[in-house]
Amino acid sequence: MLLQLNNIFKWVNSGGQRIFLLKDINLNVEEGEFISIMGPSGSGKSTLLNVIGMLDGFDEGEYHFLHESVHSLKEKHRANLYKEYIGFVFQSYHLLDELTVKENLEMPLLYKKFKGSERKAMVADMLDRFNIVGKKDLFPAQLSGGQQQLVGIARALISSPKLILADEPTGNLNSKQGEEIMELFKQLNDEGVTIIQVTHSEKNAEYGSRIINLLDGRMV
Amino acid sequence: MLKHNIKLFFRNINRNLSSFLINIIGLSTGLACALFIALWVSDELGVDKFHENHDRIYQVAENLQFSDGIQTMVESSAPMAEYLVAQMPEVEYAAATIDPSWFGKHALSVGDHNLKAQGQLVGKDYFNIFSYNLIEGDENQVIADPNSIVISKGLALKLFGTTENVVGRSIEYEKSRQFQVSGIFEDVPANSTVQFDFVLSDKAYKDEAPWNSINTDHWGSTGPQVYLTVKEGTNIDALKVKVAKIRNEINENDLRKSILIPFSEHYLHGTYKNGKQIGGRIEYVELFSMIAILILIIACINFMNLSTARASKRLKEIGVKKAVGAKRKTFLFQFLSESVLMSIMALFVALVTVALLLPHFNTIIGKQLALQFDLNLVLLTLGITFVTSLLAGSYPAIYLSGFNAVTVLKGKLNRSIGELWTRKGLVVVQFALSIILIISVIVVYNQIKFAQNQNLGYNKDNIVYFKAEGKVKEQLPTFLAELKKLPGIKNASSTTHSMIGHNWSTSLEWEGMDPDNETNFQIVGVDYDFIETMDMEIVAGRGFNRAFGDSIGMIFNETAIKAMGLEDPIGTIVAGRIPIVGVVKDFHFKSLHDKVEPLFMAIMPEVNKVMVRIEAGKERDAIKEIHGIYQAFNPGFPFEYEFLDDNYKALYASEQRVATLSKYFAGMAILISCLGLFGLAMFTSERRKKEISVRKVLGQTVTQVTVMLSNEFAKLVLVAILIALPIAYLLANNWLSGFAYHIPLQAWYFLGAGLAALLVAMLTVGSQAIQAANRNPVDGLREE
Repeated sequence: MLLQLNNIFKWVNSGGQRIFLLKDINLNVEEGEFISIMGPSGSGKSTLLNVIGMLDGFDEGEYHFLHESVHSLKEKHRANLYKEYIGFVFQSYHLLDELTVKENLEMPLLYKKFKGSERKAMVADMLDRFNIVGKKDLFPAQLSGGQQQLVGIARALISSPKLILADEPTGNLNSKQGEEIMELFKQLNDEGVTIIQVTHSEKNAEYGSRIINLLDGRMV
Repeated sequence: MLKHNIKLFFRNINRNLSSFLINIIGLSTGLACALFIALWVSDELGVDKFHENHDRIYQVAENLQFSDGIQTMVESSAPMAEYLVAQMPEVEYAAATIDPSWFGKHALSVGDHNLKAQGQLVGKDYFNIFSYNLIEGDENQVIADPNSIVISKGLALKLFGTTENVVGRSIEYEKSRQFQVSGIFEDVPANSTVQFDFVLSDKAYKDEAPWNSINTDHWGSTGPQVYLTVKEGTNIDALKVKVAKIRNEINENDLRKSILIPFSEHYLHGTYKNGKQIGGRIEYVELFSMIAILILIIACINFMNLSTARASKRLKEIGVKKAVGAKRKTFLFQFLSESVLMSIMALFVALVTVALLLPHFNTIIGKQLALQFDLNLVLLTLGITFVTSLLAGSYPAIYLSGFNAVTVLKGKLNRSIGELWTRKGLVVVQFALSIILIISVIVVYNQIKFAQNQNLGYNKDNIVYFKAEGKVKEQLPTFLAELKKLPGIKNASSTTHSMIGHNWSTSLEWEGMDPDNETNFQIVGVDYDFIETMDMEIVAGRGFNRAFGDSIGMIFNETAIKAMGLEDPIGTIVAGRIPIVGVVKDFHFKSLHDKVEPLFMAIMPEVNKVMVRIEAGKERDAIKEIHGIYQAFNPGFPFEYEFLDDNYKALYASEQRVATLSKYFAGMAILISCLGLFGLAMFTSERRKKEISVRKVLGQTVTQVTVMLSNEFAKLVLVAILIALPIAYLLANNWLSGFAYHIPLQAWYFLGAGLAALLVAMLTVGSQAIQAANRNPVDGLREE
């Protein structure tokens, strides 16, 4: 068992009314799964992903990650937990414009205790694996969308996470680039990485081993 | 990590060049101002501290009880020095001096070489007390002989062209007496309050008035300065108690009570009221230190405001870094190191600025400061820079690092009310400070203009004066008569004092005097024609006139007559035998800080300042003529003259400097504030891009949008004005109350300053607003 959500509720209070963003979510994820979360706009897909990624909190329920009780952890321990085990891939890539490809890849390692030489080796390895050695000194603005997302995935993978969380990773890409990215995810999943992605596209959801449908914050 | 941060810092500069420039200009201007002030302050604090034993050197002053309080006179009596050494075991050395400002300049000649140099008379241990290092001669011996003279290195070079073998050679003094050089001292440093070129022994004028007052055992005498060093480890408070008793033990009728003042602190703490030290130049030192801090704060506020306003541009960076596990500490470190880097860059710009502008600054403050990096200055500079970077960086660091990863990654930033208020509050503080500075400058400037154009009760223009010495002094009536015959000379006379800075007073008795009347009268000794030469006005009786044989006879000023309570003063007999012959309209004989005091004039034989009124516009020719006749009387004497109005200006030199300096600093403050406002306006129009587009699509005109954007800032400046006005009013009132005669505070000083600030602010913001309002709305709406 990689993670387990029990009766998760998340809400905001607006104008005296309680609006539920997540309602009674129960979810078990095993290592090696490839899950697609689907649903219309505003159904709570991204919120659920953020809760799983521990970037966002919840109001009620229990969350166990690798036998740690996330709901009772302090902020600092939670950060250590996701830093070690989770990698994020964003729809709009979120590469830092001021950094080159190489530096973007290196950035997450700065927040972990790696030596300079180790970091270099890990970055070189990742550049090699994603076939972007030639682009290592370019800035994000000099890359195509597909290439940027490739770098984004490489960045998520560099610290060898157990889980990749991808929020509409192909949303800003054309269909051919999107296909390539999905093939890459498939391949990573085959290598043992657990993946949870949010997507609008039935076709992309097909790559996953399981589909979760959300509607108004509820699993259907 | 540090490398990563530095890299990011420089790449960010590239992307946001305008805000970088605003920051660097603002910070470096602020730092440059602070550095200038720090240089000035450290120089002021160092005055008279170069004496090796400066913390053990004291000066004797006298507290004198008057009906209206205690007056402190920084002078003592000649026997005090000897008494202290003989009777007080705590005292190591003591020496009386006739200080240079009293002793004055004297003509020195070697062969055909004549010049005037500043001298003083000193007691034998003078060089043991003060560290005016002797290059030649022995501290204990150089002034032992009444015929010896100790000269500065500079004077030796001027007179002899060398310092080699000068000891033992003779110098002709006032073309009448020979002195033998017994020693040479290093030139007196600029940060010494006592400035002189040569020193004579206190025995040099054993019998000649007034210089014999340093060589008398008469305890009632006044005039000499008495300096002493106490032994190490002396309990100074106990010694002060003993010193306070001295005069009464010697003469129980002596009204004076001696006090000890630390010599090296006298320069900064030289104002006494009611026997207590209450301030002095230290007030300016504090004022400018305050200004430096204010300007730095204004500059730091810019940095804070721009950094937080620019936050939206860095949201992604913060969000992504948080998502990969960066902690708050990391961001604190990152943003603080950015502000440290920024400050260091600003420091370099500031240092270059200071180096380039230092000569100009020196002209304004009348000092010779150099950018010498001794340990203190380096520490101070680094300290200022470090504090600045912490001050500027702390708020942005705390603010930026506190973002929540999810919200910032969504590109949304809930700007809290508190944050907006903080930013607006900072702008208000900035402008309030600038406005206060502007108002202060206006007030100081007007007061000084007032002082210089004030009707003084006499006409200070076109008066040239010089010292009567040699044959001129011996044959003064003839000399004056010859002078008056010259073309371009309207009138001439002589006096004991030059109308500026006067302190010679006495009490008097007169017919019908109220026995409780303790009025203290200032004495001005004059020659015939003095009142006419100075264009003073006689309001009753007449001026001195040879025809009446007025060599006895006194003329009082109006204040004196009022203080004496005389209804019909003319003819009243004073001091048992002298009739009052006239009343002169009050005239100012001190600076306008002080009220006009009771004063009388009398014909005196020992007057020694020749005052000459010249026809306007003929100064050059007239002085040539005077010089000619002076040389005829005194061949070989260098002729040195002064203009009365120049010296009058010098009375306000320190105020003038404050005015000029604060003018620059106020300019800097408003410049820095406007830079900040400019940056902020830039980001506001960026942030409200979408809103502006929507408004324009819905039909608002460019003008309406411009006004809307400008209004946001106009309101802030208005609030700043409201805060600044009462504070400035209090400050100005307080400063003006130091002048017995001052300008009334006028409304336009305040309104003018407020309007000026508003105008400058609107010009700054307006350009940005117009640009934002003119943008194509489609661009603003497309982005999402």
